[in-house]
Amino acid sequence: MKQGILLFCFDTEHTKYHKILERCVGLIKKNLKLEITVVTNFQTYNKLGPLGLINYKFMEPEIGNTKEGKPWNNVDRHMAYELSPYDKTLVMDIDYFCYSDNLLQLFDTDYNFLVPDQAFDLSDRNSFDHRRFSQIPMVWATVLYFKKSKEVEHIFKMVKYVKDWYPYFNDLYRIQSKNFRNDYAFAIALQQLKGFIGYDKFPFALSTLPPDCEILELGDYGVKWKLHDEVHQIEAQDVHVLNKEIPYE
Amino acid sequence: MDIRSLKQQSELSYNIAVAKRNALEKANSRMVMAYNGNLFHADANTIGLVRTLKENRDSFFLLDTNNNPVEITDADNFLERLIERNQEALNAYHQMYETFTKKGD
Repeated sequence: MKQGILLFCFDTEHTKYHKILERCVGLIKKNLKLEITVVTNFQTYNKLGPLGLINYKFMEPEIGNTKEGKPWNNVDRHMAYELSPYDKTLVMDIDYFCYSDNLLQLFDTDYNFLVPDQAFDLSDRNSFDHRRFSQIPMVWATVLYFKKSKEVEHIFKMVKYVKDWYPYFNDLYRIQSKNFRNDYAFAIALQQLKGFIGYDKFPFALSTLPPDCEILELGDYGVKWKLHDEVHQIEAQDVHVLNKEIPYE
Repeated sequence: MDIRSLKQQSELSYNIAVAKRNALEKANSRMVMAYNGNLFHADANTIGLVRTLKENRDSFFLLDTNNNPVEITDADNFLERLIERNQEALNAYHQMYETFTKKGD
């Protein structure tokens, strides 16, 4: 079975996502050693430095979504199923940095679809308890694993349906944030399709650095950050970095 | 001891506590292991249960991390892999712990 990683990357006027992609790809190659396909547009592609052997799929992102008043091109995740050239796919946000090979375990399973529903706050403030922000437990669509199958095709079709009618679902589940979030779109789609009971999840939380952590170094072996004048670091531990002001060199 | 050194000690203790907590989370993530198409947590509970069950049976059933039942037919091999994964994760945690201890001295 062909297996690989699918990444979405579209620069905006405020954020150089291509720089984040370069770091993300380097770590995937080093630690996961899987084939990579990047979904991007030509404007972003033209700014990319050499990334070695990876595949590209070109498309223009659906625009209109925002985060804190700035453009946020995150609406196309529902297309991952049709865009993936792999039988087994790991879809990842490019701000998820793989400092270990832990995610490889997922490819050795018979699961059709897995998604994390927990995030671990590396700054020790438990700031990701999102239950109070909606009537539905959120998932973290930061990392998704899926195997091509009828069931998974239905999940992605449902996500597209939720996306198309997002204001309705947003009201229905009383979600506090009004912009489109894949985390809620997948949570809603899974709940609707799985009979409102439950679904299979990652058996670990995504280690995450909140946006107010200043990233000092995104090295080859780990991350160093500053919070309240204190410097912390982790090594050999996968991390989701929410602050997009990342030192590139 | 003046208040400044007490504050320094407090900050150091906090930083060590955060680093220890993060390292433990790293170890827990590392203990996740795929076996026969399912996911297991190679923690003390799983290892203890497998060891107990294999004393009396050649094959037995376990629940994976999503509560799906799995038949284990080669318990020796499964137990060996669980212990290997568990000790790899805890060894890394131990190494990190040693550095915390030295910082605290």
